[in-house]
Amino acid sequence: MKRSVWRKIVLLVVVAIALAGCSGGGSEVGGAVTEKGNDRVLTVAVGTDMVTFDIHDHNNTSTEAIHVNMFNYLFKKDKDGNIHPELATGYEKIDDLTYQVKLKKGVTFHNGDPLTAEDVKFTLERVAKDDTLQEYPNYKQIKEIQVIDEHTFNIVTQSPEPSLFHRLSRLGSGILPKNYIEENGWEHFLSNPVGTGPFQFKEWKRDNRIVFTPYENYFAGKVEEWDELVFRVIPENSTRVSELLTGGVDMAVNIPPSDWERVNSNEGTSIVQERSNRVVMLILRATEGLPTADVRVCQALDFAINNKAITDNVLQGGGIPTRTRVGPGNFGHHPDLYDTYNYDIEKAKALLAEAGYPDGFEMTLHSPKGRYLQDAEVAEMIAGMLAEINVKVNIEFMEWSNFVEMRTANENKDAYLIGLGNSMFDGAYSVDWYRAERFEGHTDYKNDRIEELLATSAVNMNEEERAKQIQEIEAIAAEEVPHIMLHEEKINIGVNDAIDFVPTPDEMIYAPTIKRKASE
Amino acid sequence: MGKYIMRRLLQIIPVLFIISFIVFCLVYVAGDPVALMLPEDASQEDILQLRESLGLNEPFYIQYFNYMVGLAQLDFGESFRYNTSALPIVLERLPATIELAVAAMIVAIMIAIPLGIWSATKKNSAIDVVATGGAVIWKAMPNFWLGIMLILIFSVMLGWFPVSGRGTWSHLILPAITLGTGIAAEMTRFIRSSMLEIMNQDYVRTARSKGLKEFFVIHKHAFRNALIPVVTITALQTSTVVGGTLITESVFSWPGLGQLLIQAVNTRDMAIVQASVFIIAFIVIAMNLLADILYKLLDPRITFR
Repeated sequence: MKRSVWRKIVLLVVVAIALAGCSGGGSEVGGAVTEKGNDRVLTVAVGTDMVTFDIHDHNNTSTEAIHVNMFNYLFKKDKDGNIHPELATGYEKIDDLTYQVKLKKGVTFHNGDPLTAEDVKFTLERVAKDDTLQEYPNYKQIKEIQVIDEHTFNIVTQSPEPSLFHRLSRLGSGILPKNYIEENGWEHFLSNPVGTGPFQFKEWKRDNRIVFTPYENYFAGKVEEWDELVFRVIPENSTRVSELLTGGVDMAVNIPPSDWERVNSNEGTSIVQERSNRVVMLILRATEGLPTADVRVCQALDFAINNKAITDNVLQGGGIPTRTRVGPGNFGHHPDLYDTYNYDIEKAKALLAEAGYPDGFEMTLHSPKGRYLQDAEVAEMIAGMLAEINVKVNIEFMEWSNFVEMRTANENKDAYLIGLGNSMFDGAYSVDWYRAERFEGHTDYKNDRIEELLATSAVNMNEEERAKQIQEIEAIAAEEVPHIMLHEEKINIGVNDAIDFVPTPDEMIYAPTIKRKASE
Repeated sequence: MGKYIMRRLLQIIPVLFIISFIVFCLVYVAGDPVALMLPEDASQEDILQLRESLGLNEPFYIQYFNYMVGLAQLDFGESFRYNTSALPIVLERLPATIELAVAAMIVAIMIAIPLGIWSATKKNSAIDVVATGGAVIWKAMPNFWLGIMLILIFSVMLGWFPVSGRGTWSHLILPAITLGTGIAAEMTRFIRSSMLEIMNQDYVRTARSKGLKEFFVIHKHAFRNALIPVVTITALQTSTVVGGTLITESVFSWPGLGQLLIQAVNTRDMAIVQASVFIIAFIVIAMNLLADILYKLLDPRITFR
């Protein structure tokens, strides 16, 4: 073979390596090297990448957990669900359809523009009117924003909207810079986002990392604790854990129970837990002809499931038994139904016999796999528990997209397992799952008293009464069991012991509250 | 040769057309992504509204027509997940995947060539048995398992390499070994059999009878000729490498095309899936063409027709 041909091949390989080596790795090198061992860089490992900087076009909790560091809401909920002004100074009710809100003065966007009522109008009317945006269903209740002066505006709703401030203190209600977006266009904003939050955007390498730096002129004072905030995308659980163990990251979200022991026994790392606002449950189908159409059968299934055994053994303490979806910190929370469960095998058998199934029956349970904490194991344990009352459960495990399609096509059979959150922290949002019209052909559950309570509470502007109405719905549902509540999941985050981080039920990772512990 | 290359390049067009049709059908059959885009508690009304807004309730042929019109302008549409044009996102990931693939091929070549020659020259010896048996075992090892094991040993226990991510050369080593060793296993066996065939040729015997040292016989006469099919096989390994990056990139959080494609399939992000598969198909076809050209360059007996 000719020598020149070999030379060409060698040259080709060298050029390919050189090109690959040069290709876009530059800035990534800096991040990877500096963050390890630099105690002023906070690095958080997340399981999925942020999807966008369009705060109105996603409904992704992990994306929002990042956004909260860059954008501010008008109002903000604390850990107990109390709503406090953030960009606003407060509000005044004008009538059932109108609230007047005043903005804090001296708030600026990261590009230096001052925050005004025009920015609020631009932001909220966009999400309230554009039905292609994913957050539109949660904001379409807003009819318009009337600008009164630079720092004052009225929020006008389509109908009385008792949940308005729950909506305005969650995903989608960060305020956007009107002038910046109008001058530069959306595309520019999406790659060079600007907000009012404590951190400003530095870079986003998709599926790799998102980097922020503290905003000098943040209205509540510059974050002095950190020089840089880095979110690293590490989808594989074991890799995320390994990064935490080796000090590559300071925090790692969603650590599976199988790795808790490994993290806790490693010197310098621990698992921190906090209740989430997500409840895992079985949605039963009450369509006529099915055994679960009989309330006594639903009650029997509920009595046969030992929720505590699931949370203790399968979840290893990673859940709290509950009989309601409306947990603490939610508007309308019913304390008697939380951290409790029904379990009485004899009673379950008696109820089944009473309903005409003394020898049990066969049912299908659809369950996703890998979506919720130990979901497959939970489904299997339930099948085992129901076998004790002679109910044979055929579990159909489904890949998540097929599971979603099964639900949207109303192809659910006797029961399916699902975990439902509530980012509004308003019980009205949770109990709406018992509304007959909404789930016709899906669960076919109907209770006239619940229907009446849902209709009146939806427009009831009296907070105290509305809370009682929601609690009454919860009590009826706990009695009739159209959905068997299993447990509220806990958030599990692996944390380096050198930092002080307390998770919150809304699953946000708000960096200004994360501190370094004083070195001993 | 110029004509041949031109003809092969033109053949790429119908192949890509067929691939894009198949991918479109598969993604269409897999269902629409709207239900996955909205939260668990979205109402049926919300789902229908978003589906209509995104044009996903159009019949198959209209959606396909729109897709083809876009494709003709190399526009794969907007990613549902990222709300932006799909092709730039895919192209942005390509360098990382090329970097990993090239590194993996280097690892494979560095292992396979000495091991292949060694086991051929020591045929049926203990070394040969270990090398060929080891190659089978190594090939059978799943990438994700090997990757996790390498992380545990070399990153967590020994602390020699970073666990994941892309950046310095040290970030590249573990993923390149994970991806490269599987290919090395296959190449080792190929080099071995190729060498064994050449070693029995007359010109090797002639070289030996001239009194040449065994080292020169093997490296100058046998190996060079044994390498001709190896070079083309290496080029043809592209599809294996690309397939391997899907898993390897996920394990090591390597921000390449493989990780993007897995995420896109999970979220039914049609535009990203279509753009990724299109680009991967193009690369594989191009590498096949390159393999044919290399074969001709290395072996003058081959002619293009």
